[in-house]
Amino acid sequence: MVWKLLRQHLSVAQLAGFALANLCGMVIVLMSVQFYKDVLPVFTQGDSFMKKDYVIVSKRVSTLGSVMGRSGAFSRAEVAELEEQPFTESVGAFTPARFRVSAGMGLQGMQLSTALFFESVPDAFVDTGLDGWTFRPGQEEIPIVLPRNYLNLYNFGFAQSRSLPQLSEGVMGMMKLDIRMSGKGQTGRMKGRIVGFSDRLNTILVPQAFMDWANAAYGDRKEEGPSRLIVEVNNPADDRIAKYLKEKGYDTEGDKLDAGKTTWFLKTVVGIVLAVGLVISVLSFYILMLSIYLLLQKNTRKLESLLLMGYSPARVARPYQTLTVVLNAAVLAAGLLVVSLVRAGYLDVLGRLFPQMKGGDMTMAVATGIVLFLAVSVLNVLAVRRKVGLIWEGKA
Amino acid sequence: MTTIELQQTLPEVFAGRDGIVSDVWHRQTVFQKGKKYLVEAASGTGKSSLCSYIYGYRRDYQGIISFDGENIRKFSVARWVDLRKRSLGMLFQELRLFDELTAWENVQLKNRLTGFRSRKRVKEWFEELGIADKWDQKTGRMSFGQQQRVAFVRTLCQPLDFILLDEPVSHLDDGNARVMARILTEEAAEQGAGIIVTSIGKHLPLDYDRVMKL
Repeated sequence: MVWKLLRQHLSVAQLAGFALANLCGMVIVLMSVQFYKDVLPVFTQGDSFMKKDYVIVSKRVSTLGSVMGRSGAFSRAEVAELEEQPFTESVGAFTPARFRVSAGMGLQGMQLSTALFFESVPDAFVDTGLDGWTFRPGQEEIPIVLPRNYLNLYNFGFAQSRSLPQLSEGVMGMMKLDIRMSGKGQTGRMKGRIVGFSDRLNTILVPQAFMDWANAAYGDRKEEGPSRLIVEVNNPADDRIAKYLKEKGYDTEGDKLDAGKTTWFLKTVVGIVLAVGLVISVLSFYILMLSIYLLLQKNTRKLESLLLMGYSPARVARPYQTLTVVLNAAVLAAGLLVVSLVRAGYLDVLGRLFPQMKGGDMTMAVATGIVLFLAVSVLNVLAVRRKVGLIWEGKA
Repeated sequence: MTTIELQQTLPEVFAGRDGIVSDVWHRQTVFQKGKKYLVEAASGTGKSSLCSYIYGYRRDYQGIISFDGENIRKFSVARWVDLRKRSLGMLFQELRLFDELTAWENVQLKNRLTGFRSRKRVKEWFEELGIADKWDQKTGRMSFGQQQRVAFVRTLCQPLDFILLDEPVSHLDDGNARVMARILTEEAAEQGAGIIVTSIGKHLPLDYDRVMKL
């Protein structure tokens, strides 16, 4: 009955306008959040077993340096200086093997063998979650991480030209390498097991524990300073890093810094879109508020009469509050639907561009939508209550 | 609630005026539950203001109005809502019916809130007051006299300690005024309610305990 009374003067056009405007705002906000969430991994995806934010630093190999026989290794002072930089979290050194290594594997009766080198970094730089990244003296197997482009080199170059089978990462993981180490007049044989591939570490990585043990057992060359450093940074997009490295004449490996820039760019673009969406949302919120205020204004006399009859302000406000909350909920539902449709579209395209991309879910969009819905609804409810309060006071 | 007390009460707009002669303003006045009062007033002496102060929807007065010794200025919204549902009834001079609802719906709007009267009872009153045929008619299409009777019935749809009637018979013939007076007397007697009627000319024919000049 109260609703029958109060729904008069309800302007469908105004409410539709609000719903549409709010839908636009909502979709833009949710879309940008969801897009960011979906696309970010494409740029930041690291090797699953490495900590994310690090750069690998080496000295530039120059012609003059080569001729003069200048060492490419970092001195203690240089490492210390790098450690003191504001962008540095920690610095780790690559430890090279000081013995000879060769690896072989049997493939369809054909024996391949090649001279190799090993390097290691402190375990703190390797995600310890990596399966079997341990070594204890006496252990028969050595876990190894190979650069992914070695595999590509084999699959797309070597295997094709020799009509050998192509190998997947999974198959590689199941193969055992025969590792032969020699030095100090001794020779040792072990098995190597490939536990992972890296896009960014251009080296053959073994656990630090193995390296320490093997260098002690076979190492016959004198120890030199590290030629490469792994630096964990707090923000790879920090432009001070690039500046410092340039100043010192150091090189970095991999595209980590570029990825940082891309991420930053993505964040900025999404931030702008998000802001636009929020502005539209706020404006649409105003439309709804104005529309409801107008409705309340037109019904002031009726509301006053209801209040005088003994209806409580809360009871009188409820139909309007329900109306706004239902509208907001409908907009949220429609917004999520639109987002999921659009997302299905672009995921398809992204999936083709970046096949390695893992599909995420819409938790982020749903959560953001609910937060937005709650915020807008609470404000609406409070505003209606305040307005009815004013009518009670006779000030409307 | 058993007493409504006015202590030195005066509408703020009268504050500057000298020589106010009134039985109500700027005096000590008490309305007792169970008694019948007539407040006679000339136009512009604050008759409707008095009703709105007591009913709690205007506060532009000086002095103190108290219910059972409690200053009503301090009453909360919830307290007023409760009073208007369970204790204090008011028939407004401007009636405050909803034009777009039928006579019965108008009554129902109040009765649903209190659940105090049966449909049968309301129907009986409609018949006695000669508006039974208007039951399903929108009040906006009725004459003011008919509307007055609908609003009167609506006012009775709640428990009452006091009932305020602001010019209840201004547009009624004597016959209907008498019927209204009878129903009001019966209901007030049953609940022991106090009646306060205002009038600028035509009086609701009741056996008043006190007649006051505003």
